[in-house]
Amino acid sequence: MTERVAQILISSFTKILIPGIKVTIPLTILSFALSLVLALFLALFQTANVPVLKQISQIYVWIFRGTPLLVQLFIIFFGLPSLGIMLDAFPSAVIAFGMNLAAYNAEVIRASILAVPRGQTEAALLIGLSYPQLMARVVIPQAFPIAFPSLFNNLISLVKDTSLASSITVVELFTTAQQIAARTYEPFALYCEAAVIYLIFCTALTWIQGAVEKRLVFEHKETSGSRRAIVG
Amino acid sequence: MLQVKNLYKSFDDLRVLNGVEFKVEKGEVVAVLGPSGSGKTTLLRCISFLEKADRGDMIFDEFSYDMTKVTSRQIRDMRLQMGFVFQSFNLFRNMPAWKNVTEGLVTARHMPKDEARDIAMEMLRKVGMEDRAEYFPDQLSGGQQQRVAIARAIAANPRVIMFDEPTSALDPELTGEVLDVMKKLADEGTTMVVVTHEMGFAREAANRIVFMEGGVVVEEGKASEFFNNPKEERTRQFLRRILGGGA
Repeated sequence: MTERVAQILISSFTKILIPGIKVTIPLTILSFALSLVLALFLALFQTANVPVLKQISQIYVWIFRGTPLLVQLFIIFFGLPSLGIMLDAFPSAVIAFGMNLAAYNAEVIRASILAVPRGQTEAALLIGLSYPQLMARVVIPQAFPIAFPSLFNNLISLVKDTSLASSITVVELFTTAQQIAARTYEPFALYCEAAVIYLIFCTALTWIQGAVEKRLVFEHKETSGSRRAIVG
Repeated sequence: MLQVKNLYKSFDDLRVLNGVEFKVEKGEVVAVLGPSGSGKTTLLRCISFLEKADRGDMIFDEFSYDMTKVTSRQIRDMRLQMGFVFQSFNLFRNMPAWKNVTEGLVTARHMPKDEARDIAMEMLRKVGMEDRAEYFPDQLSGGQQQRVAIARAIAANPRVIMFDEPTSALDPELTGEVLDVMKKLADEGTTMVVVTHEMGFAREAANRIVFMEGGVVVEEGKASEFFNNPKEERTRQFLRRILGGGA
């Protein structure tokens, strides 16, 4: 590595990291939050015994999982203006990523809801809980720890997918790397540097995932270590 | 107090209940016996509307219902007067023992939390589980889970409690601790319907035995008469097989 390349890498590190922190991370968080809210409704629609809602949800998943994310991004940012709907690049990206990921997260949440033993639903009905009450109090709280690893997996995917936003003029981590690469004629070094920063973000997320998963266990904390309860 | 008439239920082509007549009086303990597949569990599930009957009438609390036409509101109101104990406990695994007991009181009946907590502790004391109130279901043995499930079922002081093979998933030692709790409830005059294979319990604790086979009630009568002097040949066969040669 020449001294010039080393210089470029050092000086560009913060230049790439800052849009990473200011744009990539908020884009990821907002998109993921949107996807979770949509996914929860889509999953509830599928598990409730209402045919119309079930079909709406199935069609949604079919479309958003069956078409490319980049195409969805282009339809929202470049396509919708011809219908009179003008959105800035950043909100367009949030909507596209959020709606796309909702299809995947809906399947994760649906499977997790179905993994909660059905007997508990019956027990809840028999003590007088309504369907929304039993979902909120019994099923969703237990579906969450089941869904968590897969949801987090999708979150980590999303961090990297946000680089697609560069194609609709969002100035995020990857766009900045592209700009510096064009200016310095050092594409190999700069794109590797961008990759390293994505890797740092994802590594941090993996740590968070591990720490949170440990806490997602339903047990009485003071007694959980010894497991005496099982024996005694 | 609870009566079912002319109850029919099929699953696809399989007819499970074929015109069952069944009743429980207040304060009575009725044991429902019979071989596997005789429709005992389905009978309980139809009474609590976990399964929808194909045909049948029900009288509960002096109101009579066509079991195929009850509204979800009526079902919910009736369930508030019933307790149910499952073979597989079905405790809410995201809640400690005491919350399993308060859940129906607080969320379904809007009781203040403190009051519900007091009742929960009293119920857990009754089933000998007050020192495990903070434990989650996964930290309890099968017998302990079933005792908590009984506390949950009796907490709202229901008119009748239904037990669906409450000890079938337990080993003999744990079975004993659950049956002891049930006998105590029976002695206190709790109205109970117990589907069981525990002949000892049926003989000691039940006032009346209902013997089912092939989706109908074959024989019913006082526990002492049923065991000592069964009328039907089919009943005698069943008792011989289950109690051994001596019966």
